[in-house]
Amino acid sequence: MTAMSVPQSAVRTQAMPIRRMSFVAQTIMMTRRSLVTAFRDPVAIIPGFLINIFFLLIFAGSLGTASGFLPGLAGQSYIGFILPFSVISASLGTSGIAGQGIVRDIEQGYFDKLMLTPINRWALLLGPMISAAIILVLQTLLVVGVAIVFMGLRPETGVLGILILLILSLLTGIAFAGFTVGIALRTGSAAATQGAGLLFFPLSFLTATFVPLSLLSGWIATAATLNPITYIIDAGRAALNTGWDSDVMVKALLACFVLGGLTMTFALTSLRARTRRK
Amino acid sequence: MSESREIIAENLIKSYGKFNAVDGVSFRVKDGEIYGFLGPNGAGKSTTVGMLTTLSVPTSGKATVGGYDIASQANDVRRISGVTLQDVGLDPLMKSTELLTIQGRLFGLTAKEAAMRADELLEIVSLSEPEVKKRPVGKYSGGMRRRLDLAMGLVHQPQILFLDEPTTGLDPASRRDIWAEVRRLNRELGMTIFLTTQYLEEADELADRISIIVKGKIAIEGAPSELKASLGSESINVTFKDTEAAARAESLLVSMVDRAQLDRKMLRLYRAGAAEIVPAVVTTLTANGLNPTALTLTQPTLDDVFLQVTGQTMDDEAQNSAEPAA
Repeated sequence: MTAMSVPQSAVRTQAMPIRRMSFVAQTIMMTRRSLVTAFRDPVAIIPGFLINIFFLLIFAGSLGTASGFLPGLAGQSYIGFILPFSVISASLGTSGIAGQGIVRDIEQGYFDKLMLTPINRWALLLGPMISAAIILVLQTLLVVGVAIVFMGLRPETGVLGILILLILSLLTGIAFAGFTVGIALRTGSAAATQGAGLLFFPLSFLTATFVPLSLLSGWIATAATLNPITYIIDAGRAALNTGWDSDVMVKALLACFVLGGLTMTFALTSLRARTRRK
Repeated sequence: MSESREIIAENLIKSYGKFNAVDGVSFRVKDGEIYGFLGPNGAGKSTTVGMLTTLSVPTSGKATVGGYDIASQANDVRRISGVTLQDVGLDPLMKSTELLTIQGRLFGLTAKEAAMRADELLEIVSLSEPEVKKRPVGKYSGGMRRRLDLAMGLVHQPQILFLDEPTTGLDPASRRDIWAEVRRLNRELGMTIFLTTQYLEEADELADRISIIVKGKIAIEGAPSELKASLGSESINVTFKDTEAAARAESLLVSMVDRAQLDRKMLRLYRAGAAEIVPAVVTTLTANGLNPTALTLTQPTLDDVFLQVTGQTMDDEAQNSAEPAA
C-alpha cells in the first residue's frame, strides 16, 4: 500500500526559460541526423549509385558512337552528353531517401515526439531533403570520377563544369525530395513513397534524353520544351561538353526553383494535413 | 502568470463520428500528485492523454494543464509537460545520446548543456554504460527502450509528466525499475504525474488517487485505500488440517463476519476491519479445540473494486492486450 503523500520540502523545478534554437541551426542539426542515419542503413543509398553507373554504361555502350553521325553532337563526347541525364534519373531514386526517412519516423512514433517539441516545421522537412540531396551530390561525384577515369570524360569547362553538375544535382535532389517527403506525409506508407519516385521517372525521359532538343519533333518536342528537367540536363551538358553559357545556366536555375517551389509547397501542405490536430 | 502544476478537465468529450471515445470526463489532478487513470483497453485512456498533451483537440469540453488551456495555449502546455506515449517513439537507427541531445537542443539548450543533460538522464534511467551508449536503440530490449523514452520526456525538465501505459508489455523487473523511477521523480522533483495503466497493481503501487474509466466515462474516483475500504473487503483466511475441521470452524464463526466461504481445508472470512476480530477468532477456535495450521489476513485489492464497478475482472481484459512490445 503506497498512497504516499508528497513531502512539502520537495525540490521544485522550474520549467526551462523559453529559448529558441535558430532555424538555421535546427536545419543543420536535422540534416546531420538524417545523413548519419542514412549511412547507418546504406541499403537505401547503394541502388541509386548503381543505377547511375548502369545508365552511363548502357547508354555510352549502345549509343557511344552517336556523336559521329548526330548533327547536333558533332565533335562532342557522348559521355558528356549522356552523363547529366543519368545523374538526374538517379536523383529520382536517391531523393526517395528523404521520403523513406519521414515514413520511418512516422512508423516508429519519433515523428510525434518531434512534433511535441518546438521544432521549426521547415527544419523538420528540410533536414531529410537536404541530406538526400547531399547523398546525391556524393553519388554524382563518384559517377563523374568513374567517367573521367574509365570513360575518358574531359569536361569542357574543367573543374567548374564538375562544380556546376554538383550544384545542379544538389538543387534537383532537394526539389525531388520535397515531392517524396510530401507523399510520405500524405500516406505514411513506405510502399506509396517508393512508388512515388517511380512516378516521376517517365518525366526524366520526356526530355531531350538521347539526342539534342533540336532533333526532336512532334509531341515529344513539346513535352521536352515544357519539362523543367530538360533545362537542368541542358545546363549539365553545356558544362561538360559545349562550354559555359550564362543563358543556359540561368534557365537551369530557374527550372530548379520552379520545380523546388512546387514540391516544397506540396510538402508543406502535406505536413499541415498530417499535423492538423484532429 | 504563475504556473500551477494542476491538471483540470471539465466535461471532456472526444467523438469519432457518433462514437464518443471519451464521454464527458472531468477530474482535477492536484499539484505534486500521482494520478492513476485506470481502465481496460479501449476505455478512452489514450484518447484522454492525446487531448491533454495537445496531440488532438477535444470535440467539446475544456482542460488546462499547469494553468494553460490545451486548445488555445498548446505551445505552453508542451513546454511544461513531458510525455511518454504508449508506443515508444524513437528512431531505431540513432543512439541514445543523439536522441537526447536533439531533444534538448530543440527545447533551447546549448550543445554543451544538451550533452550534459543527456549524460545526466542516461545515468538516471540506468543506460549509461559505454557499451549501451554505443548501440543504436533499435538493438535495445523493450525495457531499455521504455526507460530511454521516459528520459526523452524529461529532457526539458517538465513540471507535469504524462505517462501513457508506461509498463505495458514489460517484464516484472523492468516494470519495477520504471515504478521506482516514477516515484523518485514525484518525490524528489515534485512532478505532477498523470499515469494511465491497465494494471491494477501499478495504480495501487504508484497512484495517490485513481479514477477508473469505463467506456469513456469515469466510473469512480478516489484514493486506492479509500476505494478498497469502501468497495473491497478484507478477509481472514484460516487453514485447518482437514476439511472437517474447516467446516466445523465455519459454523462457529459465521455469525462474526459478513460472509464466510469454505474452500476445502481453508475458510475465508470476509468483513470490514477483519484484523480487529482476529483475536476473537483465535479464542473461539482454541476454546473448541480447533487448531489452525495457518492464518493469514488479506487486504482488499483494486481488483475487487474494479469488479464491483464494471462487473468484470481487470485481468480478463488485460490478458488480451498484455503482449510484449515489439
